[in-house]
Amino acid sequence: MEIGIGAYVVLSAVLFTLGALGVMLRRNAIIVFMSVELMLNAANLAFVAFARQFNDVNGHLFVFFVITVAAAEVGIGLALIVAIFRTKKSINIDSMNQLKG
Amino acid sequence: MSEFDTLASYLSVAPEIGLTILLLIVLAFSVARREVERAAVPYIAGFGMIALAALPLIFAPGDANSTIPEGLYWGGMIRYDVLAQVFRVMILLAGGITALMASGVRGVGRRGEFYIVIIVATLGMSLMSASADLVMVFVALETTSIPLYILAAFKRDDTRSAESGIKYFLFGSFASAIMLYGLSLLYGFTGQTNIYQLAAFMGSDAFANNLVPVLASMVLVVVGFGFKVSAVPFHFWTPDVYEGAPTPVTGYVSVASKAASFALLVRFFVAVYPETLALSGESLQNFWIQLMAVFAVLSMTLGNVLALSQKNIKRLLAYSSIAQAGYTLIGVAAIQSQELSIASVGFYMFMYTFTNLAAFTVVILFSEATGSETIADLAGLNRRSPWLALAMTIALLSLAGIPPTAGFFGKFFVFNAAVRSGLTWLAVVGVLNAIVALYYYLVVIKVMYVDRSEDEDKPIPVGRQYVWVLWATSLIVIVLGTVGAQTVYDWAARGAMGLFT
Amino acid sequence: MVALSEFAPIGAMLLLAIVVGLLLLFISRILGPNKPTERKSAPYESGMKPIGPGTRRLPVRFYLIAVLFILFDIEVIFFLPWAVVFRKLGLFALVEMFIFIIILLVGYFYAWRKGALEWE
Repeated sequence: MEIGIGAYVVLSAVLFTLGALGVMLRRNAIIVFMSVELMLNAANLAFVAFARQFNDVNGHLFVFFVITVAAAEVGIGLALIVAIFRTKKSINIDSMNQLKG
Repeated sequence: MSEFDTLASYLSVAPEIGLTILLLIVLAFSVARREVERAAVPYIAGFGMIALAALPLIFAPGDANSTIPEGLYWGGMIRYDVLAQVFRVMILLAGGITALMASGVRGVGRRGEFYIVIIVATLGMSLMSASADLVMVFVALETTSIPLYILAAFKRDDTRSAESGIKYFLFGSFASAIMLYGLSLLYGFTGQTNIYQLAAFMGSDAFANNLVPVLASMVLVVVGFGFKVSAVPFHFWTPDVYEGAPTPVTGYVSVASKAASFALLVRFFVAVYPETLALSGESLQNFWIQLMAVFAVLSMTLGNVLALSQKNIKRLLAYSSIAQAGYTLIGVAAIQSQELSIASVGFYMFMYTFTNLAAFTVVILFSEATGSETIADLAGLNRRSPWLALAMTIALLSLAGIPPTAGFFGKFFVFNAAVRSGLTWLAVVGVLNAIVALYYYLVVIKVMYVDRSEDEDKPIPVGRQYVWVLWATSLIVIVLGTVGAQTVYDWAARGAMGLFT
Repeated sequence: MVALSEFAPIGAMLLLAIVVGLLLLFISRILGPNKPTERKSAPYESGMKPIGPGTRRLPVRFYLIAVLFILFDIEVIFFLPWAVVFRKLGLFALVEMFIFIIILLVGYFYAWRKGALEWE
């Protein structure tokens, strides 16, 4: 049985929604960040599926760039989470309440 | 462009190449063994970026027969036109001024990394203002955002700075991920990544009934842009990040990042969802005009109302910047007045850049000298340092939109565009908001000039580079508010024309 | 039907890898000094104790190394599309890739100079 483009797009939409829910519901900064990565990869899946459909190389190319950008984000994200853990001894988002008003 | 014109291609990204070379020079100086060389880093970075601002003016985009004809370069990744030129000059000047502004700040000014990261962010913004391909849009946005996350958390031992950085990072990467999904949908509809080809493919007969998916892509992209320009309801990160980040960074994020995002926003929406594109009989432009109008009203109103009760000057400027994004969005919503709309956005961002940088320079000097960012502590500033108080007054009057400062013409052009495109009600809401905003700007001026404090005999030390920055920004604000307004507006209008052809 | 002979290079590669691996083990057995202690003969797990609870705190320095590793590692992804079109683009692609690598190298030397690669 051939798995059509529709299945991939639906899967990517499901992954994207799961990621978005993760960002909004979870409180651990690392889990939130992993959910963002899941959203980026959902978009990657969509790009690759569409690129295959159109038989076009641009979608694949886009994914290369998204992967590198995501890696840079991981670098910064981990460093920031380490920094916040050093100062607050917690990476729970609710503990980040010093700035408000 | 059919053939690969090497010289024109390289000249079309001359500022970016210049920034990369500057980056390598600064990188080398920042790890130099001798203290003298390391101390030169802020000036190399600052004056370097200001000098690079001349490049877009020297290598100006022209007609088909000139050295660099207006058009697409690098396989459609870059579109070099007058609009890109206007925003690049603005962004490079803002980057240079920020580097000079930062040089005297404790915990920031002596660290070479700071200037390296500022240059990378400026590079990203410069690319944003000329992006013409979905790939470039995403890469430029992230090249801008990622350095800004670092900058916000730059004083990493300070809990407030670290908290500001991580909040900015989590919200920012969430917004980029949402936007990226919108971009992937656009690619999925058309199989194209160049933003100037998307509309033609979406307008084809085969696509005529897919209104809902196209709207979904538009909403996802709007979330990303809404976050970047800190428009309500995507503004919630703004006050926290602005308050916690080191002050030069706050100034930089509030002007350069916003200007670059507006440059990309107008280019993107005019090209991808143009007036001619109608699906199921509905013009897509009408949808985003309504979205922008709603965001404009929400941003202005919420920003101004919340600013009224602020005690911290950085937080006040944060809410003020949300409101300013609202005024600019009026200009975007007025797109039916064609180049009047885009030109007013360009002018508004141009004047806002220098106005806000002047205000933040005063805030930096004050908080470095006194360690306070509270509005009440500004009392007696006029007797302590009359020139600082004057510079702050000019900046605040410009933010409020009082002549003879640039802010007056900024608001005038935006409201004019709104009226010309039949959105008179939006202009009225804008004027009402400007009146509310006047109150809290005047309160700060009153505190500086009327209130008394015990420290009035202690003047605020002002380094030489700050004197230059304050003179330059204040003069630009006054010139733009008087004789220079027409020139800059015409320049932005020429840029706007290029967007519709 | 794919001819088996098409897989010959892969087979040769496999064989070569096995031979080189065995050879290295064999040479080090002959030439290297051999003084086993309890620590040395324990299974190698990147310098961590192999037995104990699975969730324990890692020194924060690991994160720095991990961050640097990710950054330099992922850049290699751009070599892939570049390699595909390299012949078509010729000298231009080569020069561009050299510029790319030089910029990466500057970053690497900067990290080095800043002491990011020092363990202590």
